[in-house]
Amino acid sequence: MTQNMENKPQVKRETKNKIRVDFERTSLKERLKAKYGSAYFFKNTLWYIFRLLLLIGIAFVVLQPFYTMLINSFMAPEDFVDATVVKVPKHLSMGIYKAIITDLGYFKIFFSTLGLSLLTALLQTFTACLVGYGLAKFKFRGNKIVFFAVILTLVIPHGTLQSAIYHRFCYFDFFGILKFLSGGTHTGIEWLDGILSKIHILNLPNGINMLNTIMPLVVLSIFGLAFKNGLYIFLLRQFFRGVPDELEESAYLDGANTFRTFIQVILPLSVPMMITVFLFAFCWQWTDDFYIRLFFISPDKPPLMTYITKTIPFPSLQATYTQVTHSSGSYSQAMRFGCGMMACTPLIILYLFCQRHLVQGIERSGIIG
Amino acid sequence: MTNQVSGTAAAAKQPAKRKKIASLDRRKARSGWLFVLPFVIGFVMLYIPIVYESLSYSFFNVDIIDGSVVKTFAGWEHYSDALFGETDFVQTLVTGLQEMAFDIPAILIFSLFVAVILNQKMIGRAAFRAIFFLPVVVSTGLMESIMTVSYAEGGEGMELGGAETATDKVASALALEELLMSVFEGLGFGVGLVTYIVEAVGSISTIINRSGVQILIFLASLQSISPAIYESCQIDGATSWETFWKITFPMVSPMILVNGVYTIIDSFTTDSNSVMKVIDDTYASGKMEVSAAMGWMYFLVVLLIVGIIAAVFSAYVFYQRRD
Repeated sequence: MTQNMENKPQVKRETKNKIRVDFERTSLKERLKAKYGSAYFFKNTLWYIFRLLLLIGIAFVVLQPFYTMLINSFMAPEDFVDATVVKVPKHLSMGIYKAIITDLGYFKIFFSTLGLSLLTALLQTFTACLVGYGLAKFKFRGNKIVFFAVILTLVIPHGTLQSAIYHRFCYFDFFGILKFLSGGTHTGIEWLDGILSKIHILNLPNGINMLNTIMPLVVLSIFGLAFKNGLYIFLLRQFFRGVPDELEESAYLDGANTFRTFIQVILPLSVPMMITVFLFAFCWQWTDDFYIRLFFISPDKPPLMTYITKTIPFPSLQATYTQVTHSSGSYSQAMRFGCGMMACTPLIILYLFCQRHLVQGIERSGIIG
Repeated sequence: MTNQVSGTAAAAKQPAKRKKIASLDRRKARSGWLFVLPFVIGFVMLYIPIVYESLSYSFFNVDIIDGSVVKTFAGWEHYSDALFGETDFVQTLVTGLQEMAFDIPAILIFSLFVAVILNQKMIGRAAFRAIFFLPVVVSTGLMESIMTVSYAEGGEGMELGGAETATDKVASALALEELLMSVFEGLGFGVGLVTYIVEAVGSISTIINRSGVQILIFLASLQSISPAIYESCQIDGATSWETFWKITFPMVSPMILVNGVYTIIDSFTTDSNSVMKVIDDTYASGKMEVSAAMGWMYFLVVLLIVGIIAAVFSAYVFYQRRD
């Protein structure tokens, strides 16, 4: 063995001008043995297979509900009673989707939800950028207090505040300004009340009722108080802290003011981070149930995705299902899965486009270290 | 002569210069306030009144007469109502906290493990990443409502459609638990650890679906560790096990703290949170004041836990000193 490994030059052929010299090489068998027979290779392969199996398993757990949803929504009614149908349907049917798109008015729901989510997500991203930048790059008295306030809004659960939020938007008023202008302010001092009650600039003694409109969501978004906005501000602050000051200084030297510097220099830099925040804000608004339930209280529900999974309205389709399967469960199941599919698909598509930026955004945010 | 002249000139210049710097600082401070203004206005005008109102609801009886809110002081009545009333709030709170104590280590360990694996080179890494972060986007609310409702009321439909009925599932899960129990007990682990692991396996899908953001944060922090450190470790002959405990773990330890706090706060808002469910039900049944009292008590308890965890963890967190 060891002799083989030694490289003895061997003169193979000799002509007048040329000498061809060959070195004896390790045989292929030896090489293969050295590479694939070692404990090191064995361990690595084992780890590789184990890892792959584990990841596939976890991916299965994540994807399984989506698959169930997809399959069940495409199943024809007769497949629900067929015991041989387990994971793959025999008869494909588009009945559910047809019903959702035409009878339920899917596109109306889609566009109204899209509009609402886009609006709130853009507002939230912009506000979070402004506040995050202000907190990261400017030293002013109260900076720490404002940051603490941001964290506070993140930590206090909105569930605790729901009744107060509801009343605030039911009688929306800024510190009684509207009440004051409508002459409804009471101070308990007679002569002052007499003067105050004569003011009739507006007629809104109870403030504006913002319920059943999207205004509460818009207001919360503008002020950076909507769902998890504290997190976005925190992420963006950490990100902006990592941007070198020299960039801004050079912009100042060129005569730009702070706001222009922010728009033209800082924002283009922070696109991955903004996409991350936008994606969070958009998706969380899209699937939001809490605020929609809180603010839309009238019996005729707005066309939003949140309600899509809870409406089971088509008697004709239901009759077909009941006739074929002799139970009502399969219809409601198919319907809910179909609706769920229609609600999730736009998110998944958006996610696939933005997914590349996710890790990059968080990584660049510099919340690490 | 010249020296003197330049000296006076410099002296004359200096105060002017200092004044200018101060004004620049002030200007910067002012624009800083302008940037945070939206939040500050919202916080002062909206958030503080909301918090104040919510707190006051828990101490007052609130009636709405002609659109104006009338409050009468109730003292600790609502709190005692929440604690000793007919709703079993205390029980739910205790079980909720137990669940939290169980979930948080499980989520942290799982997400760190997955992040470490996803950070290694392999086939289809990008695809796996895309799949694993899917719950970040879709899991909240919607998915849960679709899936849970279908299991709860659609039992009939499931029995008809799939071969796996609900009872079958429970049976197989129990068999799996028994198998795991026997295996781990055979290996000589303590009973407490065994039950923990078995329960973690049982609720694996919940854990996976709730650890999307945590995996994301861990992965980002893993990628920010300098490869030079790993290289020098390799040269010194460290095994990957040693490298993990001596390098990776200390380097991501700040993120363990962040993720721990995030997980606790996140569990506030999930629909599956049993304490929040009780609070919601109380709110829906018209006892707004009691639900506010419950909410604040829950918040204080959790804040206390976050404080303790942060205090204990931060003693062990390793911060890499830059420069």
